[in-house]
Amino acid sequence: MDYRLNYTDTDIDLMRSLRPAGRSYWLLLGTLFALVVMGAAAWWNQIQTGIGLAGKNSPVGWAMYITTFVYWVGIAHSGTLISAILFLVRVRWRAAVYRSAEAVTLFGLMTAGLFPFIHLGRVWVSHWILPVPNFGGLWPNFRSPLAWDVLAITTYLTVSGLFFVVGMLPDLAVVRDKVIGWRKKVYGFLSQGWQGTDLQWRHYTAAYVFLAALATPLVISVHSIVSWDFAMSIIPGWHSTIFAPYFVAGAIHSGLAMVVLLLIPMRKAFSLEKYITMHHFESLAKFIIFTALIVGFAYLIEFFIAWYSGARYEQAIFLYRMVGDYAWAFWLLITTNVLMPMLLWIRRIRTSIPWLVAICLSVEVGMWLERFVIIVTSLAHDFLPSAWGLYKPTVTDTMIVIGSFAWFFFLFMIFSKVLPVVSMWEVKEQLEPPMKGDRQS
Amino acid sequence: MNPAGPFVFSVYAHLDELVGGIRGLQAEGFKEFQVFSPVPNHEIEHVLGRKPSPVRIFTLVGGLTGLAIGCGITIGPLWNYSLHVGGKPLVSLPPFAVVAYICTILFGALATFLGMILNARLPQLNLVEGYDERLSSDHFGIQVRCGAADIDRLKRLLKRSGAVEIRQVKS
Repeated sequence: MDYRLNYTDTDIDLMRSLRPAGRSYWLLLGTLFALVVMGAAAWWNQIQTGIGLAGKNSPVGWAMYITTFVYWVGIAHSGTLISAILFLVRVRWRAAVYRSAEAVTLFGLMTAGLFPFIHLGRVWVSHWILPVPNFGGLWPNFRSPLAWDVLAITTYLTVSGLFFVVGMLPDLAVVRDKVIGWRKKVYGFLSQGWQGTDLQWRHYTAAYVFLAALATPLVISVHSIVSWDFAMSIIPGWHSTIFAPYFVAGAIHSGLAMVVLLLIPMRKAFSLEKYITMHHFESLAKFIIFTALIVGFAYLIEFFIAWYSGARYEQAIFLYRMVGDYAWAFWLLITTNVLMPMLLWIRRIRTSIPWLVAICLSVEVGMWLERFVIIVTSLAHDFLPSAWGLYKPTVTDTMIVIGSFAWFFFLFMIFSKVLPVVSMWEVKEQLEPPMKGDRQS
Repeated sequence: MNPAGPFVFSVYAHLDELVGGIRGLQAEGFKEFQVFSPVPNHEIEHVLGRKPSPVRIFTLVGGLTGLAIGCGITIGPLWNYSLHVGGKPLVSLPPFAVVAYICTILFGALATFLGMILNARLPQLNLVEGYDERLSSDHFGIQVRCGAADIDRLKRLLKRSGAVEIRQVKS
């Protein structure tokens, strides 16, 4: 990625996003806030009335909430892929997009983290899962993937948060040095006295590499652990060794699509065309083709193994997915997750903004449905026909899920106005430094 | 750097002039100085020749501490809660390894952050005296501490190296 820019212009351009917001921004933010309040009210009502307000019940005890939990954890994954893995392998185009991707990680996890609490019902005893001695003499069962999940998500949130904050420090100092009045005090506090001395940069760059190196295995492990919530059980359709790589690929698939969906309006709104170019979108689109192929391959392998194993219950559940009560969701997810992204092989399509938006939206729908199909069909149709049953969404769980989407976008909208959305120091690092001698561009 | 005594703050518009300025200071025997730049730069690192950051030691110690904590919270409680289930071993390595791994990452990252803020001396309530707001954006700087007798010689040296602004702070 070769930018024809200089340090001065970069700061001016990239601080444009921090200018006072217009009416449309406030209107959108207000709408999102209203939807968040709606979701919160539905949750409060569920706490007051009882978990029965959600459609989940025996045999489908995990439904909309766990589907959405897995979906949001998945969304979080592309951020770390872009910010940490692409940093370690020195991919230059990463610099302009990683901050937003990292925000997607952080806000995705902050949204996902709500769902276990929403799903619990008795949310007031949720601290029982924590490994702290308590009056009940309880201790988490660390043989359970649910206990791993709590640790994995908490760790992922902490490490992503640290990486986000550390990466932001030099940029906050730039903002501090350019604004006046009360904002100078706020950004002065946030930048924590960063001055860019050789001592600070030396320790900073070392820490940054180590944080990236520590975050990298989390891309693989967190969603693997989430997948083991299912794979460690004996339910047909869940008890599978390919679940970990299958879930990780799906997570990155949906996360990349979400990053593209957020970058497109942000680039337009803040006039970032010089920084976030079509090359970025094309690179992300190629990544999406790759993840779509892996996900598609995993779907095929699941069916092949069900047939090849000769296990009757396994065959029955996969047949049920194709032709049963939720077949519409299954065929829709195949179309939106695997077939639609194949259009990105065509260069004219992957360099067209409307097409990119349409395909990435389709991937988001598909990945949510994928988790829905995995979770709900397996529970609705397991070993005993006498125990079969269907799940239907209710007003309460639908409102909470809509509220969660609003919460994610609400957080992202606030981020886009109060913090630099593109890393100034890392973009500047890609540029030729100001030189008086031969190398002056 | 000695907090007492005068120092001179010079601002540069170009990296090559800054590097020339650092080399000049080293040649003239000035040792107490720090360099300011808007981005990390290998040329500056190379000419300064500082030792590698000790943050890596923090990461290692943090990671090992996390590993020990992970093993501790899974294996330790078995003395009090020894629940035998289906003849499975009490110390069940595959699931406990997952917990130990997560704790290694968590504590490694926390220690890395701690190592960075301690070594980089953050947070700082006040910016150094003479700090120029252009330094975070598109200029470079050197803050040099010296004896009162060396001030004029130092200023001449910095001027010769191409500093666009030279300020004496605390005379």
